[in-house]
Amino acid sequence: MTSNPQSIMASSRPLSTWDRINPARYIGELSETRFWMYLLLLPSALLIMGVVIYPTLYGFQLSFREMRLNRPDLGTDWVLLKHYQRMLSDQIFWISLRNTAVWVTAAVTIEFSVGLIAALALNRNLPGTKVLAVFILLPFFLPNVVAGHMWALMLDPRLGVINDLLVKVGLLGGYKAWFADPSTAMAAAIIVEAWHSFPFFTLLLLAGLKGIPTDLYKAADIDGAGSISQLRLITLPMLKTVIAAAVILRVIGLVNSPDLLLILTSGGPGRSTQVLSLYAFQTAYKDFNFGYAGALSVIMFILLMMFAWVYVRLSKVNQD
Amino acid sequence: MVEFEKVTRIGRVKYWEDEAMNKNFNRRSVLKIGAGLMAATALTPSLAFGQTANINYWHTFTSQSEFAGLEEVMKLFKAAHPDIVVTQENIPNPDFMAKITAAVLADSRPNVTMVSSERFADLLAMGALTDMTERLANWDKRSDFDDSRFDSITKDGKIYGLPAFSFVDWMYYRKDWFEEAGIAPPTTYAEMRDAAIAITDPSKGRYGFGLRGGPGGQNYINNVMEAFGSPVQQGDQIGLDRDKAIEGIAWFSGLLTQDKVVPPSAPNDGFRQVIEGFQTGQTGMIWHHTGSFQDIASKLEPGVEFGTLAMPAGPAARVARLAYAYNSITKDENADASWEWIKFWGEPDAAIAFLDKTGYFPASNSASADPRIADNPLYKPAAETLVFGRPQPSFPGLAGWLESVVLPAFQRALIGEATPEQAVDEMIDGLNQAIG
Repeated sequence: MTSNPQSIMASSRPLSTWDRINPARYIGELSETRFWMYLLLLPSALLIMGVVIYPTLYGFQLSFREMRLNRPDLGTDWVLLKHYQRMLSDQIFWISLRNTAVWVTAAVTIEFSVGLIAALALNRNLPGTKVLAVFILLPFFLPNVVAGHMWALMLDPRLGVINDLLVKVGLLGGYKAWFADPSTAMAAAIIVEAWHSFPFFTLLLLAGLKGIPTDLYKAADIDGAGSISQLRLITLPMLKTVIAAAVILRVIGLVNSPDLLLILTSGGPGRSTQVLSLYAFQTAYKDFNFGYAGALSVIMFILLMMFAWVYVRLSKVNQD
Repeated sequence: MVEFEKVTRIGRVKYWEDEAMNKNFNRRSVLKIGAGLMAATALTPSLAFGQTANINYWHTFTSQSEFAGLEEVMKLFKAAHPDIVVTQENIPNPDFMAKITAAVLADSRPNVTMVSSERFADLLAMGALTDMTERLANWDKRSDFDDSRFDSITKDGKIYGLPAFSFVDWMYYRKDWFEEAGIAPPTTYAEMRDAAIAITDPSKGRYGFGLRGGPGGQNYINNVMEAFGSPVQQGDQIGLDRDKAIEGIAWFSGLLTQDKVVPPSAPNDGFRQVIEGFQTGQTGMIWHHTGSFQDIASKLEPGVEFGTLAMPAGPAARVARLAYAYNSITKDENADASWEWIKFWGEPDAAIAFLDKTGYFPASNSASADPRIADNPLYKPAAETLVFGRPQPSFPGLAGWLESVVLPAFQRALIGEATPEQAVDEMIDGLNQAIG
């Protein structure tokens, strides 16, 4: 590398008035310091502050305030841990927490199992799999509202086609009101949810499967490993990162979205399908108690953070 | 050679065209056109503004007949007021409070909103409604509406809406089934229960009564408690009479748990299920309001297959709600145009057109006296109800209490998860929290 004599002369020259005030020169000098990267990050950081951090913190502070829109006489004073204390003795909160655990665990388990089977089938590249892939992914393209109303009609105790089929094949003696019976309401809602969202797992797992080198399977074949062994020793370990990401995303989605249950059961009958997100939604928009709803949301947020942390540690994804 | 001449001719033509362009578009003409365009640009919006006002209207209409009725009213309004453009937006009932709350908080309110009686207190408390007292006082058709029509939309002497149509609670019954069983239409709760037992035949898939235990059923539960002597509101007093409320809940839930005269799907049955159950011959009686008349008449023959009755009397009171769907100004912008739209619903032509399509009763006296209503025997029970019907209770927190506490507690009694005593205790606890 050769130095340019002219540039050396220019740099040793005393700075003119214009050079001293020239903003371009300042920016040029700043770009060579370690602060430059922080300056470049500043717009994004401000944007994130505005659209993520501020609303989150606002939600947090709401949970420590009195905020009932239909009771302006109560004011909006700080109430510290009042809402959290109420939660401890709130039966509906505990029922909702238990139902949320059942709802999420059962739905994710079914969605993952069916999604994996579908992904493995599609990955075989047999004739017709492209068309099949479109059909498999179809439920996921339907908005929750549409899927909910569609299934509410299909499971309708008067006009529902599913009741009709089950009666005709002899599995049911008469039409059943699936969502009116507490012993079947949650199960029926989970099946609808699983039907709607298993393609999410199919999609992600299929992408993961495409990235596994075929040499591994060929080597396993030579070593005499059967299909189950290949699945257990090659496929699942290689999909570990994808599975972890998919499960965490799906759990977040299930915990936070009350829409399907809102359409199918509204949390009933009684409280048999009441989940935390639905309870928070009803508290905010039916009772207008945004303070208590904020506290419920904070608890959901903390539970999700804890779940993600524990799950990532247990699945040892970070060790890769 | 020929080719060369053609090219030259084309070039010459192009030259003269350019010259003409230069002559037509010199600097002065361009300035003139520019000034003209600027003036036109400046003028056009103001002209447009002067000619039309746009308002949007949020409502909770659900059924096809309701939409047909709204369309008819909008058509009439357009003919009467070509200078006002109304854009309607349907907000489903379950989402309504969430949407309007968000709109109020974000200041993106609609110009006009349909407000039901039980939502008035909450909407007023959150500052969603505009005082319309002065506009109403200066309106030439104000005397067409009894003062009582405004009770559920008035607070501290200020009126916040104009009734568009009435919800007159009444009962539909299968006239042919009753004739077949040789029983008279019921006038009391006890008679209604007996009739339900008489016409129930599970082998035929027939049930006596279509109980609405799902979404929207909360108002009927409250009515039954009131009919047994436990009104939730008496003047400024808010509370339940525990023993009487228990009697009411025991009677109402007993229709399923003991008498088995309602479909097993009752704990999840909302509007659609209850209406379909009646239309398809599953149930012999249902409680609803006049607004579902046309929907039912589209499947069953009025006066032959089904009839209408005033709500039966409970042991302590005969409770049938006379509620109104009010239209209220919810935004200051284009408030005059909003007022035109609101008062148009009070015109007899619009009210009758809406009734024809839906069955909803008009709120104004002159429209109610129209022979098309007064001379129709099927509307007689609604006219009777206008005499003894009572308004919905109204206090902040009522709608939330009914939906989030009363309905689930009653459902627990329906599915045998709670006794009527436990259900009522849950309701009392919830009420204390709602008003505490």
